[in-house]
Amino acid sequence: MNDSMSIPHLIMNASLIVQLVMLLLLAASIASWIIIFQRSIALRRAEKSYRDFEDRFWSGVDLNELYRDLPAEQESLGAEHVFRSGFREFNRLMPKTQSTDAVLEGVQRGQRVALSREEDRLQLHLTFLATVASASPYIGLFGTVWGIMGSFQSLSMAQQATLSTVAPWIAEALVATAMGLFAAIPAVIFYNRLSAHAGRLLGKYENFAEEFHAILHRNLQGRSEREAS
Amino acid sequence: MAKRERRVGYGWPVLLAIGVHIAALMLTIIKWPESEPDPTSSSVVQATLVRAETATDQPQQTEDSAPPASQPEEEGAQEPEESAPAESSEEPAPDSDAEVTDSAVEEAKAEAQRLQEEAQRAAEQRAKAEKRRQAEAEAEKKRQAEAEAERKRQAEAEAKKKRQAEAAAEKKRQAEAEAEAERKRQAEAEAERKRQAEAEAEKKRQAEAERKRQQELAERAAQANNSSLDSMISDEEQSIANAKQANEAANGFKNLVRRYVEQSWNVPSNASSELRAIVRIQLLPTGELVSATITQSSGNSAFDHSVISAVEKAAPFREMRELDASVKGRFREFNLDFNPEDIR
Repeated sequence: MNDSMSIPHLIMNASLIVQLVMLLLLAASIASWIIIFQRSIALRRAEKSYRDFEDRFWSGVDLNELYRDLPAEQESLGAEHVFRSGFREFNRLMPKTQSTDAVLEGVQRGQRVALSREEDRLQLHLTFLATVASASPYIGLFGTVWGIMGSFQSLSMAQQATLSTVAPWIAEALVATAMGLFAAIPAVIFYNRLSAHAGRLLGKYENFAEEFHAILHRNLQGRSEREAS
Repeated sequence: MAKRERRVGYGWPVLLAIGVHIAALMLTIIKWPESEPDPTSSSVVQATLVRAETATDQPQQTEDSAPPASQPEEEGAQEPEESAPAESSEEPAPDSDAEVTDSAVEEAKAEAQRLQEEAQRAAEQRAKAEKRRQAEAEAEKKRQAEAEAERKRQAEAEAKKKRQAEAAAEKKRQAEAEAEAERKRQAEAEAERKRQAEAEAEKKRQAEAERKRQQELAERAAQANNSSLDSMISDEEQSIANAKQANEAANGFKNLVRRYVEQSWNVPSNASSELRAIVRIQLLPTGELVSATITQSSGNSAFDHSVISAVEKAAPFREMRELDASVKGRFREFNLDFNPEDIR
């Protein structure tokens, strides 16, 4: 490999637009890797905290106590958030109405809001990964096409076109495509992986919400039957 | 602690992402150690000198003969060792039957004595055998040493003989070389003599040529006075010749085109020799073909077609560029007639 064909040398010698394209791709690649790391850590922590919370919930602790133990509304995340919003709605509605259906409906609504917020939080920035994955090959291709255009323009000035006059230009141009792929491939892989992970977690939250709802329903049913008798 | 778990900051991810990119960049920059290409030598055959062999194979011979000489000695040393363990004796077990009766006691005593004697005898025999064996081993060793010495002596004698033969051969070779050198020297001397003779002849010839040239010069100087009129006439003649040459070149170009076309002409097999087609060819100044049309058809369309395609195949006619401008004008458009007989 001679010195003039090394990759840094090729990048430094490329034309301005190709260099800009490469810079853009580098920025996209760095940003996507930041998101990949941030999301992986965040999702792993969310899963761990969900497991902890589930253990606590099913350990037979009194729900009122659990509610009091949990931190304030803004800081709670995941299943805790779902539980809190549902239970708060339940507590607020119970003294006001005798209708079981109205209470359950209120609880369900509160949980739905919390769930949609959680979904939003889990999939934060994942769309950026998808964008990088689909767009950066095209951006790289644009850089390549531009570089090859330049190479042909300069080729028309040359007396004779040998392979050695064409090769450096094309190698330069192809670096842009390579960088596009370099940015796109991890983004695709991790977008699939992370969105699957987030979806799985969200499914767990939904299951938890249903179970919690069933418990409340059972409680209310028992109470109304007692009152009726 | 609960708070730290909830919010995932961006500090670490940024560091990790930049680390990943720097690692990737390093991979592209770092030159992996390549295996050095073999230095290309200018010689066609690549050969390395493994061992510079001496002209005489004597030292090698002595080297080769040395190892086997030392081998038998080792073998001889090993033999006695091997036979040593074989002499482990089995002690005769004393009879322990104790009978109460005297006769039995006596018998036992006699028995014991006998046994002792036997043991002594056996021991003596063993010692004797041992001595014999040692003597044999020594004799063997001596014999081997002698054989060794003999072999060495023979090898030396052989080496000496060889050396002598070698020396004799060397002397002969030297003598031959001297004779050769002598012969060469004589041949050279003769060649030298011949060369000198030739040089003299050459000198003579040159002197003669010089004389002749001077004579000619003198004659020419005499003629020069009446040649001014002649030169005018010759100028005229030259211009006429030029025109003729241009004409010839033009004809030559036409012939050239015809030859090119005929070379790439596939005459249809059914074409009879009476067929005749005239083609009008239009050319650019560079020799490119503009058009080729049949001006007078042969009546056979396949034949006409073959002529046209032959012209197209033969174009461009690069020789057009080398023609004079005046001649070129004539060939922007010209007719050629084709007849299968031309090439048959």
